[in-house]
Formats: sequence, structure tokens, C-alpha cells
Amino acid sequence: MDEWKPNPAVKPHKKRSWYLAWKYKLMNQRALRKLCQTGAVLFLLVTVIVNIKLILDTRRAAYEEEEESAQDYDDEMLNVEVPRHPVNNKKVLDVEVYSSRSKVYVAVDGTTVLEDEAREQGRGIHVIVLNQATGHVMAKRVFDTYSPHEDEAMVLFLNMVARGRILIFTIKDEGSFHLKDTAKNVLKSLGSQVAPFLSWRDMWTFVGKKGGEVYGEKHAKSPALSTWGDPVLLKTEVHLTSVEDAECHWPDTELNRRRKRFCSKVEGYGSVCSCKDPTPIEFNPDPIKDNKVFDVPVAVIAGNRPNYLYRMLRSLLSAQGVNPQMITVFIDGYYEEPMDVVELFGLSGIQHTPISIKNARVSQHYKASLTATFNLFPDAKFAVVLEEDLDISIDFFSFLSQSIHLLEEDESLYCISAWNDQGYEHTAEDPSLLYRVETMPGLGWVLRKSLYKDELEPKWPTPEKLWDWDMWMRMPEQRKGRECIIPDISRSYHFGIVGLNMNGYFHEAYFKKHKFNTVPNVQLKNVESLRKDAYETEIHRLLGEAEVLDHSKNPCEDSFVPDTEGKVYVMFIRMEQEADFTTWTQLAKCLHIWDLDVRGNHKGLWRLFRKKNHFLVVGVPASPYSFKKPSSVTPIYMEPPAKEEGAAAVPAVAAAEQT
Amino acid sequence: HVVRKFLGLISSHNIPVYLIDPLILGLVDKDIAQIRSTPDGPSPHCKYFCVPRDFTTFALLDKTWKHEVGLFRTAEKMGFQWLKILNKDPRLDGMDDLSGMEIPLHYIFKLASHAIHLVVFYERSGNYLWHGPLRLKQHMDRKFVPFRKLHFGRYPGAYEKPELLHVSIDDLKVQIPKNPSSFLEEMSHSRFLECRYREARAFFQLYPDDASLDAVEFRKKAKSLLHLAALTLNNLGVKFWLSSGTCLGWYRQCSVIPHSKDVDLGIFIRDYKAEIIPAFQKAGLPLKHKFGKVEDSLELSFQGEDDVKLDIFFFYEEDDHIWNGGTQAKSGKKFKYLFPKFTLCWTEFVELKVHVPCETLQYVEANYGPDWKVPVKRWDWKSSPSNVQDNGVWPVDEWDDVIQIY
Repeated sequence: MDEWKPNPAVKPHKKRSWYLAWKYKLMNQRALRKLCQTGAVLFLLVTVIVNIKLILDTRRAAYEEEEESAQDYDDEMLNVEVPRHPVNNKKVLDVEVYSSRSKVYVAVDGTTVLEDEAREQGRGIHVIVLNQATGHVMAKRVFDTYSPHEDEAMVLFLNMVARGRILIFTIKDEGSFHLKDTAKNVLKSLGSQVAPFLSWRDMWTFVGKKGGEVYGEKHAKSPALSTWGDPVLLKTEVHLTSVEDAECHWPDTELNRRRKRFCSKVEGYGSVCSCKDPTPIEFNPDPIKDNKVFDVPVAVIAGNRPNYLYRMLRSLLSAQGVNPQMITVFIDGYYEEPMDVVELFGLSGIQHTPISIKNARVSQHYKASLTATFNLFPDAKFAVVLEEDLDISIDFFSFLSQSIHLLEEDESLYCISAWNDQGYEHTAEDPSLLYRVETMPGLGWVLRKSLYKDELEPKWPTPEKLWDWDMWMRMPEQRKGRECIIPDISRSYHFGIVGLNMNGYFHEAYFKKHKFNTVPNVQLKNVESLRKDAYETEIHRLLGEAEVLDHSKNPCEDSFVPDTEGKVYVMFIRMEQEADFTTWTQLAKCLHIWDLDVRGNHKGLWRLFRKKNHFLVVGVPASPYSFKKPSSVTPIYMEPPAKEEGAAAVPAVAAAEQT
Repeated sequence: HVVRKFLGLISSHNIPVYLIDPLILGLVDKDIAQIRSTPDGPSPHCKYFCVPRDFTTFALLDKTWKHEVGLFRTAEKMGFQWLKILNKDPRLDGMDDLSGMEIPLHYIFKLASHAIHLVVFYERSGNYLWHGPLRLKQHMDRKFVPFRKLHFGRYPGAYEKPELLHVSIDDLKVQIPKNPSSFLEEMSHSRFLECRYREARAFFQLYPDDASLDAVEFRKKAKSLLHLAALTLNNLGVKFWLSSGTCLGWYRQCSVIPHSKDVDLGIFIRDYKAEIIPAFQKAGLPLKHKFGKVEDSLELSFQGEDDVKLDIFFFYEEDDHIWNGGTQAKSGKKFKYLFPKFTLCWTEFVELKVHVPCETLQYVEANYGPDWKVPVKRWDWKSSPSNVQDNGVWPVDEWDDVIQIY
């Protein structure tokens, strides 16, 4: 396929502006004026004629446009040759876009702004947003529309881009398999004629202005299922508008200056940059009474996922009792956009030159961030550690304020975490309930300074050890039998689906249905009973009250638990020694909760909810609570399925991701 | 007058500053009893703020404020010209490869011929306040004010957190340090040295750090011993500094040298107090040995947790040098270690505000020679130091007194 050039409707506009520009210039040059008088008259005559012709053209084009969709876009090639004269007061950008099976690139005025020829990655539709006044890249995204739901993300993104921005699209490898009609229609509404017909392994490039003209589109069809379309290279020009036109006119306040700085640099954040009705960037949530965590520093650990960071900081700054002055965002790498997000919210950010690779890099970033946090806030006894892909519950700080004294006073505690690994929609019920667990969930947690300074920091894994910081923290050498306090209903929500060891499938299976508290000011119940000895009393009380379930039934079945509400039930599973989690893992699997490694246990006891009843699982005989088992009851044993080839490797990787 | 305007400005923005101007505090100190007793009393004439001078200096705690943009706009409206001096955040300096935003260290507000110098104090690990040096960047107006005459900013400084007092001076309500004279005394030796983090990193590139469990354990013990020693000596009001291997560790690698096996401190013999030994014993550090006597070559050694010991060397000042002594227990031989004269500066080490000799390089070189940058594991305190001299032998009849081993 050959050159395809802009929509004919555009033509008259361009010619006219070209002419006006010259006229303006000539009139300002006295010397030229006389000389050119005759010429000008002639010129005027010509332009009058041209203009009349153009008006006719426009009418015809407008008429044609209605039929356009029915036409084969190949026909448009007839209109290709639009002469491009240099225009004086408007800058023109040369844009080159390349689409092929193994490589995509975009160059703007000779500068490569996107180049991806890496194997086995970057598949799908790459989108670049340029500022229509400056030509700067404001956003760069890739949507793997070969895979499900990525097209929805793309639609979401495109809808957030402000009108007038320049959009550049190019496909690498395959971008049509899960590109649904909604998405195709959005592309069509942007002026693409090819999008509705994009199919398996087609190559495609497109440049257009959101809500305006189309600068070019090229397409190469895949001839057969097993082959790809030929590479396409689109070369076109884009006219820049004035800076005035590209900006909103918000009232001049300190907040709006931050907003303006942000919105002129980056795109894809939706209503925060809306001219008419911008969403606030300051939230002023209610303070909480007697806030015990007001002076506790908050370290937000971030990488290069600025949209995540944006969402995360919004929820954090909206949480009641938040103190923005205590927040520091630690960015792993010299990325500009995350820093822009941090500045938009008026927070402080620190960039960290990456050392080491992958998991070890994350681990080193954590160490640097924690050390820096305690350096910056030398008075702090604790630090709250958050990650960029978490939503923060409205009562996050209230939850911590009510429980933090335990971490200060109870030496047997390792952390307080906002996340319950087993707290799914169908297994968590009580926002005022807390547990003690032997595992460290992470995902929004409080670290005691003395633990960090005296124990963890000095022996933190060095970069050459490719360890996950959280796996390391869970090791018995570090945890030393201490426990974490967690809520039944999580105070954080893990929304990230792109990440190291993270993908859409994994997120859907293990995180999507996680319960997240949305109730403000929850008064926690019986916090003192979370202390080491008091908790044992509490468990004994619970077990005393609990009704033993019918062990002849299948525990995976719903009918295993009677149709009651608010009761306490107990079941006993086989657990030969402390580390025997065979039955537990199978039970977790069929209950659709976290089963990739063991989480949420306390001395061989798990606590969750089933059908709004408190449901206790005791591992017999390893658990000290085994004595509660009536002699008539045989602990349930569930056999693991026969091992499939390579199956063991999956949980190992996946488990690493949980925090 | 300018001060009044400035105080109006900052109070309108709710910024809690306090007066640290040495000139005014000096005058205030003379009348401190009276000022304290009448915190709101009117004063007949302008006695303090009207003393002729170019500047008035105030301090500001960083953590007590944040929103500066509005302040500058109001300041401009009131006719102030202002200058902000930014620099990198030293609290992140020791960290590998972190780059934060620059932090404001000094502000100067100028109105007519008078200027207000606002020094920003930061809290640092070790429970103290720090202010930065005032360094002008290339493009800055060097004649904005006579910078050389400023009382703060020639060097960075370290201070204790002051207790503040609300007072009314010349009908102006201000906060001042509760005890102006001790503040002024503190100010006179407040100079702070930052650890040489960049050089330390280079050192570790050359000689990778010992990450063994033993090293980690030793560092932990050395740190807690140093904290305990600092607490004990500070309570007694005895000034001390990091000496020998501990000083070398700070200067060369910003950390405890893991194979050094002890913690070394120096104290001027004029600061010696008899309570030192009982105070350490009370703190759980029994005396291990005592060599020499107050008049000559005094040296104390205390037993810390598991084999880590605390050595305290007393230093004797002469006209052109300073020395401390050493004693070999079995032979009664005396040694003398000579150092060029030095003064004391503050620094931060293992989350502690401590003294080190300001002229650290000379001090370290005197002790360890020009090759101090190369780690040496085999060290003999009688022959290795490059500043050691034989100093005779203790008379045998004094041995019971000058060689005490426990």
C-alpha cells in the first residue's frame, strides 16, 4: 500500500492560512510592497479563484465524507498530493511512524521518540501523545491488544487524552486479536479509516489530532494466518498550534500552577487536566481524633508506573488523618513522569539510581528508601511503607492510629500490615476485627525503626544476592517467631496488574476479589486482645465457643458450613508437623483464597469467614489448639493432585510477587 | 523597624521563627531575668533591636513549615527583596545514589539597608539540629548583602534542640532560646563536618566492605557501646572526640572498621573528672585497666559487651603539639603519641552527634601515616603508629598506681 494523505476536508484550511501568512508578511515590509504591488494584485486574483475553487472543494468533500465509511479507504489515495509549503508562523513537525512484526519506531523531527525491537515484548498497539503546541512527547503507552482487556485500558486512556493532542499509533507484531468493537469505534472516531477492519497480524500506523484532523494512516494486510503484513512506514507532517491554544485557562493559584506545569508535560490523567472542570489535586480529608500516626513518615516505593502512582497518591491523600508533609515518594530510577506526578500533588520525591537487576534491584531500592526515610525523619519510631500499586482505605490511618501502640509495646510483634492475604470478598466480613499472623503480608505496613536499624539494615541482602526483600524478611532468621497484626478486611487494595512477576491472569486469580474497607472511622474491636498472651486467651475463648463442623462432609462444598450468620465454627485438618501444609494448601485452593504459599496462620490456626460465620481451621496434631478436637472427629486430609511437569516453578515466582 | 515588618510577615504566615542573632541575644542576656519575669511588659524605648547593625538573624525549624510560595509573594508586596539559598540534602548524602530535591538552607529578606537572615535548621539522626553552609551559586547576586558579615553560614553547624521562650523585647513578641548565654556558647563551637561520603564510597570500591555476620555483629556492638559512652560522658559534661581507629573509620569509610575490635575516644586532660570511672561502672562498663595518672599518660579502658572494649585516651596540650601516652603493662614501658594542635568540630557518626578533630586529615596522618587509606589488619599500638615515641619506663615503685589491670 502506498502513501495515504490527509482528509480532503482539511485542504482549504491549510491553503488559506498559508496565503494569509504571506499576505501578512508582505504588508509589513515596506520595501517589498511597492515592488510587489503588481505581483500582489495578480496574486490576489489567483487566490480569489483558488478560494472559490476551494470552497467548492470543501462542499464536495463534506458531502463525500458522509459516504466515506462505505468506501474502501484505498480510494483515498487519489487525494494524496497536498502540496506542503513552509508556513511562516506555524511550525511543522515531520513525523515518521513504522509498524512491523518485530520492530516499531516513531521519529518526530528526526528524533526517535519510540524504538522497540526487543524480542518477545512490546506486542500490541503503541500509542504516543504529542503536545500540539510544542511537539513534546506527553505520553507513551503500549496496549497488548492481542490479550484480553487491554483494549479496554486503551479506550480508557484515549478518553483521558485532552482534545487537540496529537496521537500516534503503531502496531508491533499483533494488535487485533482482542481489539473489540468498542475500541475500534474509538479509533474510528479519531479519524482512522482502517481501524474497523484491522485484523490478524495486520500492520498499521496512524497519526491524527484528537477531535480534529487526520495527518496520515497506513495499513498492510496480512495475506495469511501464518504470516504478517508487510512493514509499513508512514511519513507525514503535523502543524503545531500556539501554546495558548494548547493550554487551559484556570484561575492563577498555587495549586493551578502545579496543575498547569503537569498538564503541559504529560497526558493520560483525565480530568485532572480538564479545562472546564478539573478534578481537585488537594483533598483535605477529615482529620482523625487523637491521631497517633500523624508524625509517622510514609514512604511510597515507586517504579516507573506513573499512572499507578497517580491513582495511589490520590487515594492516600484522601485518607482521613493523612499528613502530606510526612510523605516521601521514592522513585527507582531517573524517571521524569513519576516525579511530575509527585510534584503535581506537592509532595517530596527522591530518585534512586538503579543498582543491580530485577528483584535485587527492588530490594536495594527498598533499603535505600527505608534508610533515607529514617534519616529524613530522625525522630520517627516507625515508618509506614506503601507501594505505588495500592489503593489506600479511607480509614487506613485510623486503623493504624488505633493499633500502633501494640507495635511499640509488644516485642513479639514484627509489623502491622493493612493487608489480609486471605481476606477475599467471600472470606472477610468484620472491619473491626484484627488477627495475629505468623506471616508478613506487606502491601501497606508499618515498620519499627529499631527493627530496621538494629536488625534488618545491617544485614540487608547485598545486591549480588538476587533476593526479594519481602521473602527475605519472611525468613525465620529475620522474623524470629514474631508476628504481624492484620485486619480481617484489608485497608489496602492491590490494583497493579503490570509489574515484575505480575500479569493480568495472576491479578484476576489472586487479587481482584480481595475485600477492601470503604467504611470511614471504623472503631477497632478489642485491640488489647491482640497482645501476645491476651490473644491466646481470646483464641481459647473462640474455640470454646466454636461449633465443630460435620467432618464427614466435603469442606470445599458450600454446604459444609450451615446457612447461619454470626456463628463460630471450627474444623480440623491434618497437619503432621509445623511445616506440613499439604491439606491446608488444598483447602485454600478449593476455597479460592491464597494458596501459593502459606499465609495467615497463627500456631497452626487459620481464621476466616464463610457465609458470614467465623470459620476456624486447626491443623492437627501440629497446632497447640489440637486438644480442642473431640476424639470422635478425624482430621480432614486432602491429597495434593499429581504433580504436573514444571508446575512447581509457577508458585515460586508468583509467590514472590505478593508484596 | 524592618524586624517589626518581618515579624508581621512571618506571623501572618504562621511561621514559628526564633531569634538567634548573637548581637541582640548578647544584649538580651544581660537583662534576661527582667525579660523573663515580664513576658508581656511594655518597654520604654527601643533598647535591643535598634542597636545599629546590618542584619538580624532568625532561625526556623524546617519541619514546622512548608508553604513558602505565599510567603514570598507577601514579602514582595511589603517591599522586601529576598534571596533563597538551596543546596543538596545532607541527610541523603550518605546514601548510595539517592537524589532528592534541593532543600532551602538560608533565606535573606532585605528592606532598605537592613536585612533579615533566616537560617533553616534541620533535624538529623542523632537528635540534633543542623544548619547548612551558605554558598552562593554562580548566577547569584554577590552583593545582595555583605555575606561575609553574616553570623551563620560560613560553616555548617550543629546544635542541640533549644528550649524556647516567648518574650517581649522592645514591644516585639519573639521567641528566643531559653538560655541565651548557653546558646551563644554553643554557637561559638558549632562547626559541623559532614562525613566524606564520596571518598568513603570510593574506598569501598577499592576495598569491598566486610559483610560477614561477625562484622555486622561487631558494628552493632561498637555502635551501642559508643552510644552508651556518649550518653555517660555527656551526662558528666565531659567533652570527648573520636580518636584512633574509630576516628579513622569515620574519616575513611564513614563507618566502624569491623576488624578494629574496640572503640577509641579522646578527652583533654583538663576535662578529666574523677567521676568518669564510677559513671561508666554504673552504666554497666567495668574498668578493665587504668594506665598512667592524671599528671602523665592517663589511659582508661572499659569492658563492653563481649570483648568489645572502650579505650579512653587523655590528651595533654603543649605549646606546639598535643600528645597522649601509652603504657606496656608487662614492662612498664611508656610511649608517647604526638599530634599537631587541633580544635574540635561536630559530626554525625552511627546516628550520634559527636566531636572529631576539625583538622582530621592531619590528625589521622599523624597517627596512621600517609598510607592511612590502605586498610591494615595487623596493628601494633607500640610500633605501628607513625607518631609513636619511646617515653622511658615507669619507676617500679609507681607501678601499682600507674598499671592497674582488672
